[in-house]
Amino acid sequence: MTDADALDRVLPLSPTTFHILVSLADGPRHGYAVAREVEELTDGRIVMGPGTLYGSLQRMVAAGLIEEADNPGEVGLHSERRRYYRTTPLGAAALRSESDRLLRAVNVAQQRLEA
Amino acid sequence: VSERAPGADRARALYRRLLSLYPATFRARYGDDLLQAFDDRRTEPRFRGTLGGARLILFLLRDFMTSVPLAHDRRPGRGVGLIMTDLWQDLRFSTRMLVKNPMFTLAAIATLALGIGLNAATFSAVQGILLRPLEGTERPERLVQMYRQWPGIEFGSNSIPHYQDVRDRTREVFESVAGWIFQPMAIAGDGTSERTIGMLVSANFFQTYGVQPLLGRAFVPGVEDRDPGAHPVAVLGHGYWQTRFGADPSVVGRTISINGHPYEIVGVAPEDFRGPISFAAPPIYVPLMMQRRIDASRDLIASRGSNSMNVVGRLRDGQTLAQGQAILDAILMQLRDEYPESYDDQLGTRLVPQNEAGIHPSFGSAQMGMGTVMMVVVALLLLIACVNVANLFLARARDRRHEMGVRLSLGAGRPRIVRQLLTESLLFSALAGLAGLGLAALGTQMLGGFRPPIDGPWDMRIDMDSTVLLFTAVVSLGAGLVFGMAPALHAASPDTASAIKGESDRGRGRSRASSALVVIQISLSLLLLVTSGLFLRSLQSATDIDPGFEEPRSLATMAADPGLQGYDEATGRQFWDRMLEDVSSIPAVGSASLAWSLPLGLNSSDRGIEIPGYEFGPDERSSIAYTYVSEGYFETMGIDVVDGRVFTRSDDADAAPAIVVNRRFAERFWPGESAVGRLVGTAGEQREVVGVVETGKYGSLGEEAQDFMYLPYRELYQSAMIVVARTAGDPQPVMERIRALVRELDPDLPVYDVRTMEDHMGIALLPARLGGSVLGLFGLLGLTLAAVGIYGVMAYSVSQRKRELGIRVAMGADRPTVIKLVLGEGMKLALLGTVIGVAGALGAARLVQGLLYNVSPLDPIAFTGVPLMLVAVAALAVYLPARRAAAVDPMKALKTD
Repeated sequence: MTDADALDRVLPLSPTTFHILVSLADGPRHGYAVAREVEELTDGRIVMGPGTLYGSLQRMVAAGLIEEADNPGEVGLHSERRRYYRTTPLGAAALRSESDRLLRAVNVAQQRLEA
Repeated sequence: VSERAPGADRARALYRRLLSLYPATFRARYGDDLLQAFDDRRTEPRFRGTLGGARLILFLLRDFMTSVPLAHDRRPGRGVGLIMTDLWQDLRFSTRMLVKNPMFTLAAIATLALGIGLNAATFSAVQGILLRPLEGTERPERLVQMYRQWPGIEFGSNSIPHYQDVRDRTREVFESVAGWIFQPMAIAGDGTSERTIGMLVSANFFQTYGVQPLLGRAFVPGVEDRDPGAHPVAVLGHGYWQTRFGADPSVVGRTISINGHPYEIVGVAPEDFRGPISFAAPPIYVPLMMQRRIDASRDLIASRGSNSMNVVGRLRDGQTLAQGQAILDAILMQLRDEYPESYDDQLGTRLVPQNEAGIHPSFGSAQMGMGTVMMVVVALLLLIACVNVANLFLARARDRRHEMGVRLSLGAGRPRIVRQLLTESLLFSALAGLAGLGLAALGTQMLGGFRPPIDGPWDMRIDMDSTVLLFTAVVSLGAGLVFGMAPALHAASPDTASAIKGESDRGRGRSRASSALVVIQISLSLLLLVTSGLFLRSLQSATDIDPGFEEPRSLATMAADPGLQGYDEATGRQFWDRMLEDVSSIPAVGSASLAWSLPLGLNSSDRGIEIPGYEFGPDERSSIAYTYVSEGYFETMGIDVVDGRVFTRSDDADAAPAIVVNRRFAERFWPGESAVGRLVGTAGEQREVVGVVETGKYGSLGEEAQDFMYLPYRELYQSAMIVVARTAGDPQPVMERIRALVRELDPDLPVYDVRTMEDHMGIALLPARLGGSVLGLFGLLGLTLAAVGIYGVMAYSVSQRKRELGIRVAMGADRPTVIKLVLGEGMKLALLGTVIGVAGALGAARLVQGLLYNVSPLDPIAFTGVPLMLVAVAALAVYLPARRAAAVDPMKALKTD
């Protein structure tokens, strides 16, 4: 499943995709929650309106990075009607590979800055 | 839900409606979620209240703008938004590239704009004057112009009686046949008087051209072409109606005075019809039947021999030019029987389709030739410009190989780079096209404002039409794409590694391309320069020609026509006698006289003669150009008297009819004998030759010697005369004084052509002057472009060979050797271009042959001087880089690469 070809196709990740994957890393969320989480993760630098949010989610589903999920048992306003998403194994692998790459880049940068 | 504002559900409904911007599938799947997200967003504190509402609107607007195009894009991972961002990036980058290299950009844009502008302007002029069908007319392709042929006259005019016969006897072939004739008129009304050149037209004039008047009516065929003198009515030209009458719609019915007689304005011509020729707009039209009233000095209506009218017919549907020709030939046979005296020397008739007539068919191949030459010249210039642009781009593409290599190796996709280059080319094209259009507009305006130094209602119809705009767009786009893209694409070719390292593996092939371009450029500009050199030589030799009179600079002239103001012969004679007397008594005037026409003007007249004892051959021309002059004319003009005497004051109606002829006239009819005392039958009398004067130039400076004869003004009074005065010193104050004298005598009398004889001769020199200056300018432009081109190529080649030259210097080559090496290489190109150019110029010279005075198309000075000059300029352009090459420091040159 996580063969190199599939991974190559989706990498590198765009910042928005990366952060959506991060927000889904600890479990399924519904769309609006994803948007709020991404906003928080990026200190408000990435704010997605409804169209942008669901457009991105649709494309990520199409790319096989995420998939729709059942309501994990949340209760609350309209919870039963909301669509939930979770990462696929490909999405998880892509997130891991992208964060490794960033980490290496950050390490090199830090070393050079200290040197 | 409780905190929702009352209008909130309307906002939700609006948002729901806006969702239809998304594709249906997207909407079906996510519609509810989008609405839910909308609701969720609205509950956030930052989107509450009035300010929050505004913030929400902006937020959603941005969301739509970025997500709608993306949702419509089917390709995974790509989107319109991204493309837009890319395009914007490309554009910004392109602008930066163009600005970064301002000299390159300016040179390329200016070069191309110049080429485009000149082409568009010239095309507009040729199109407007020669090619475009007559404006404002109905089906101009059915109109034909009719001319009569006599020995030596290919396209002769028609008389009114002849026209009437043609009109009445050709009805089966022609729908209608109209006639027109230019006529000077003095128009007075509301206290002002002005002289203008209007038109006498047949009553069916407007119908024949298919023109509906804007206001009022046209003339009435069948009514206003009968009863001479009975129809004092006029139709105004549109421009004149606007300038003189302020476009007043109530002008119809008003009365104006033409040559002292009242006329009623019955109509105004429409704006798009500006008269029957493409370069003049008659201000006013009067029925032909009023000719005697307008100009009492001649009776064109009754005189079958006074041929001065243009005739145009409209072919019936289904009738052809050949049928028109056939019926005119048949009528000529009839008329020969009816009026043998008036027709026995007419050879035939000529029909010319309106669309092919140009300015006048007698200019025939010359006008089309000039038009062709101009178009070819500016096309060559555009070609040179394109070559230069190509060269500039080629050089730049080489400079950018490195940049392309870096971008490719950093992972930029080739399509992305090509798109970037495309954007750059298009940006360049747009700028060059706009600049070219600006230049074209300027040029067209200048050409349209050009007024020949001849009296007339000139109005050149030169404007840029859609063809010109299309042409500009195509040329600039084509040039940008071909010259911008092709070299750049090469630069973006896969061999990136060597590009980054700065190795110029393909440099050789590409510099061969540049060399070819330089050769082409040099040969093209040589072609231009030789041609303009021929015109300049022609101008020079034209100014050297002896016109047959002395010092035109100090001859002052003034023309007037008291007949236009209603003077009869007695008062007219009084007026001219008084003028002659007053002008002669101006202290700075040595002598003064009257003449009906001056040599080297445009209007020449000729009339038939009979010589007792001389039999004219069948094709021999029996009509001779002439003028009327007063006593003192030959003395004032400085025309030498060869034999006998000149006119005196007493050569008047009481004296025996006299005539003065020129030397050529005398030698033609009485070779080897004295002409004095011989008889010449003309102007209704047997006239005795009283004197012979030297032959001069009459029609044009380039003409062969012509027969000419002078008739005595005092015997044969003419109303329209010209005062000629020989002045000592500056003629300007004398001309002012003459003008003032006329004002004192009759303040209402319009005067015209107040100028020196030299200015008058400007007309004769006009073709050579125009040809010389325009082509000279173009040639210089071409030379400059070629010099820039060869300099650029040589400079580049030197910079490429730095290493090689460095080695040579290190091996002991001295400065002169290096200079010689580089110079030799550049000059090889220059000489090759020169040889090709001379060959082309030999062909081109043949084309313009008809437009040259006294200059062989193989003029040795033009054909040696110009190439030498070009080679010198090329040598300079090569020398500068050569010197730089010689200054190469071998150590540095070897180290840098």
